[in-house]
Amino acid sequence: MNIKIIDSWLREYLDTKAKPAQIAKDLSLRAVSVERTEKIGDETVYDIEVTTNRPDLMSTRALAMEAAAVLSEEKIDAQFKDKKFPEASSADISFPIKIVDDPTLTNRIMAVIMEVKIGPSPKEISQRLELSGIRSLNNLIDVTNYVMREIGHPTHVFDFDLLNTKKMIIRKSKPGEELTTLDGKTYKLTGGDIVGVNDNGEIIDLLGVMGTKNSVVQNNTKRIMFFLDNLNPRLIRQTSMNLGIRTEAAIINEKGIDPELTEIAFKRGVELFKEIAGGKVISKVLDIYPNKAKTHTVNVELNKINSLIGVDVPASKSEEILKKLGFGVKINKDSLEVLVPTIRAAEVLIPEDVIEEIARVYGYHKLPSVVPAFLNNKSNSFADTFFYEDKIKNALKYWGYTEVYTYSLISEDMFDGPIEKAVKLKNPLTSDMEYMRTSLVPSLLKVVKENKSAEMIRIFELANTYHKKTNDLPEEKLMLSGVLKKQNASFFEIKGVIEQLLTDLGIKNYKFKQRGVPGAEVFIGQDRLGYIEIINSNLIDFELGFETILKHATLKKIYKPLAKFPPIVEDITFVLDEGINSEDVSEEIKLQSFLIREVTLKDQFENAKTFHIIYQAEDRNLTNTEIAEIRGQIITSIQSKFKASVK
Amino acid sequence: MEEELIRIKNNALSMIWDTDDAKELEEIKLQFLGRSGQLTLAMKQLPKIDPEKRKEFGILANEVKETIEGALKEKTHETKTQAVKSHVSKIDVTNPGIKPPLGHLHLITQAISEITSIFEQIGFGRVRYSEVEWDWYSFGALNFPEGHPARDDWETFFIDAEPSKKYGPMLLTPHTSSGQIREMENSKPPIKMLNLAKCYRRQSDVSHVPMFHQFEGLAVDQNLSIVNLKGVLDYFVKSYFGEKRSARIRPYHFEFTEPSFEVDVSCGVCDGKGCKLCKEGWLEMGGAGMVHPNVLKNSGIDPNKYNGFAFGWGVERVLMMKEGIEIDDLRLLYSNKLEFLEQF
Repeated sequence: MNIKIIDSWLREYLDTKAKPAQIAKDLSLRAVSVERTEKIGDETVYDIEVTTNRPDLMSTRALAMEAAAVLSEEKIDAQFKDKKFPEASSADISFPIKIVDDPTLTNRIMAVIMEVKIGPSPKEISQRLELSGIRSLNNLIDVTNYVMREIGHPTHVFDFDLLNTKKMIIRKSKPGEELTTLDGKTYKLTGGDIVGVNDNGEIIDLLGVMGTKNSVVQNNTKRIMFFLDNLNPRLIRQTSMNLGIRTEAAIINEKGIDPELTEIAFKRGVELFKEIAGGKVISKVLDIYPNKAKTHTVNVELNKINSLIGVDVPASKSEEILKKLGFGVKINKDSLEVLVPTIRAAEVLIPEDVIEEIARVYGYHKLPSVVPAFLNNKSNSFADTFFYEDKIKNALKYWGYTEVYTYSLISEDMFDGPIEKAVKLKNPLTSDMEYMRTSLVPSLLKVVKENKSAEMIRIFELANTYHKKTNDLPEEKLMLSGVLKKQNASFFEIKGVIEQLLTDLGIKNYKFKQRGVPGAEVFIGQDRLGYIEIINSNLIDFELGFETILKHATLKKIYKPLAKFPPIVEDITFVLDEGINSEDVSEEIKLQSFLIREVTLKDQFENAKTFHIIYQAEDRNLTNTEIAEIRGQIITSIQSKFKASVK
Repeated sequence: MEEELIRIKNNALSMIWDTDDAKELEEIKLQFLGRSGQLTLAMKQLPKIDPEKRKEFGILANEVKETIEGALKEKTHETKTQAVKSHVSKIDVTNPGIKPPLGHLHLITQAISEITSIFEQIGFGRVRYSEVEWDWYSFGALNFPEGHPARDDWETFFIDAEPSKKYGPMLLTPHTSSGQIREMENSKPPIKMLNLAKCYRRQSDVSHVPMFHQFEGLAVDQNLSIVNLKGVLDYFVKSYFGEKRSARIRPYHFEFTEPSFEVDVSCGVCDGKGCKLCKEGWLEMGGAGMVHPNVLKNSGIDPNKYNGFAFGWGVERVLMMKEGIEIDDLRLLYSNKLEFLEQF
């Protein structure tokens, strides 16, 4: 939450000679981030980011206390000077409206009726508001905003005469109820909003969020009801987000405010109305306070302070810091007894919360840096999944492939298969990112489409795909996919890449099998690894399951003693019928003798395939006679098994 | 006759040394050692020489022959070598080379490699936890209260699936902090982990992409302190950005840490002095903090015995902060335009 704080206003609560730059620096290092310091005319404006756990700092007064604490820690003279506002004088007339509240909705309500003279605000007030980013409208509205900025508690003002009601019932709204906010917008409520309702059942306030048109201050307002409500933060957030009304009041109220602050803001408001709007109290002060603010004590061990921060902080130093921040402190032998003020009661609960207060004002920049030297409980595996992922990516890079990162979320028409099987988002941002993909290929093909001007494309991606499971999180499966776009793209180029990839990972027992559609299925042993898909003569893709690769990849090296006797090499050409796989022929040839070390397809011309055969024995030189015999067996078996002829 | 042999030798040698041409050498060889060569003819005179002087003559003649042959061989070799050199020196070395293939790894992969290797050196083991998570792991166990804005469906992606009775609704994790809970459930202290995985948030603009990467460090042991966290932050910043850079922490707030910090890195352009590109010498990098005792408890670790610190930053963010990679629209990283990817 961002807030603009005015330097001269801050100094009404802060006694120091420090310049704005110094204040900004020390606040940023020890309290809140001052994003910008801007000099506008005579004034300086601090643009401050207040974190969501410190709604109490949406207040000039509270920030002055922080500034005093951090400046003095930096050895700069600085004092917090709180203002004491007089008790709001009560007229002897009873409060004219019966306010029926609900303690589950409101923690405190304070109200009073005043006679006022509406008009423009004095220059100092309107200038401070404008510099804070709040429009100065008239002295009545301005007081409510000025008090909110100064004290940190939103306030509201009704035109009392417009209210014209004997009762105001505070309750949850019902679905379908309507209201028109003071900016003229009409809303239909979904129910559960905190509303104030008059005798006629009409909504006269959307508490904590925005006032309504039917009770807003007008140019001729003569009497006001100054009204402060301290509310259930959860309901405020719901209302504010559902209706899209993000006023500063809503933003502060939805975090929850100290009800003790209600009284300070109330007194300040009454005083201001008197000062700038000729205000005169004409009723008793109403104070309905069902949920009293509580303080509590937190015990913090001195050891723990030192251990968590990492340096020894003397107890007296901790006490000094905490007191400057509004905490009460009692030093015991081994611990501090810390009394938490009501304004911090919601979020300072455990010793770590107190230690944070001490440490941040002490100064994080004062602490040394020491890398903790311990080792974790795990043994290191060199060849883990990340090792193989990097190896594969680098191999593809050096073979000319470019890695892409596409989105895991895709549109319905990019999803392969029945859409009911897809993991689907309940609240997608756009319809082209609604389903979680089960294949990377459609995304890669999209990349190809989006790079039309490239004549040759070689891309790959290694990423998760998501598979629905019943009653459990979807299974996240890593896939390795790639696409080749090229004039007359060759299936064998992709096959070659996959073969070399697997070989480099120590995998030897891979097999490529025919598919129903153009392309091939790839297996490692009995495990299906993936597929190659020929889309057209210029476009081929492949997708492999990385888990299967991991299962078979190995760094294990096997040493085979070098051959003592030279091999004999020859080529045999067979004329085969179409449809006979060369691998089947090679396998059959190998079966003929264990002296055949290797058979590879060397050449192919129409139906004639030339097989390159290497014969070798470990213990002797092979003779021509031996070779001739094996050759005979080869030819016989190939001829009979495949109805082939020798060329 | 001796003088004649010596004259032939000197004549041959001087002619050999005089030429650089292979063809001329061939002719010299013929001229002296050929069938009607000078030396050959001279040796044919052997019968006309006195018998006592024949042996001497023979020896000398052979010596001359060897000398001439040796000189010829040497000169021929020299000439050939020169020929090769002059051929090689005729190539245009400024012509493009025949390059082997070279593709590209995505910038994010490169950043991930660097980041994980930096942390591995100080004992943070790399892990990768799931992207689709339960609310408990992404929010509940991390001490987020009910109704916290991040749990709204304005900011987080929820899955259209049956919620778990135990773990709440299914969602896409908006931060790698869910990995802290997973790690603490899987292993007992001492813990030093770096979870690096994809995260998802419901926003898309110049500085936000709906899918991005974060790296999350978690250390849990006895008596860890803010001093230790500072040590790790400083080490990373110096290792990744350079020795001259430093890290600093400022007060901040997260639900799952207490104390919480915003981490800044000193500006590389102005060396921390302040310039147009930074905030008074510093750039925001990400969040960190001491693990909230509730988070430890929720993960089955005794907060009275152990404590820890954690930090979580965007990979894309630190990547963009590295010099030379000032991409003006973060979505470009995921646009997969080849002319962009091929720059790296």
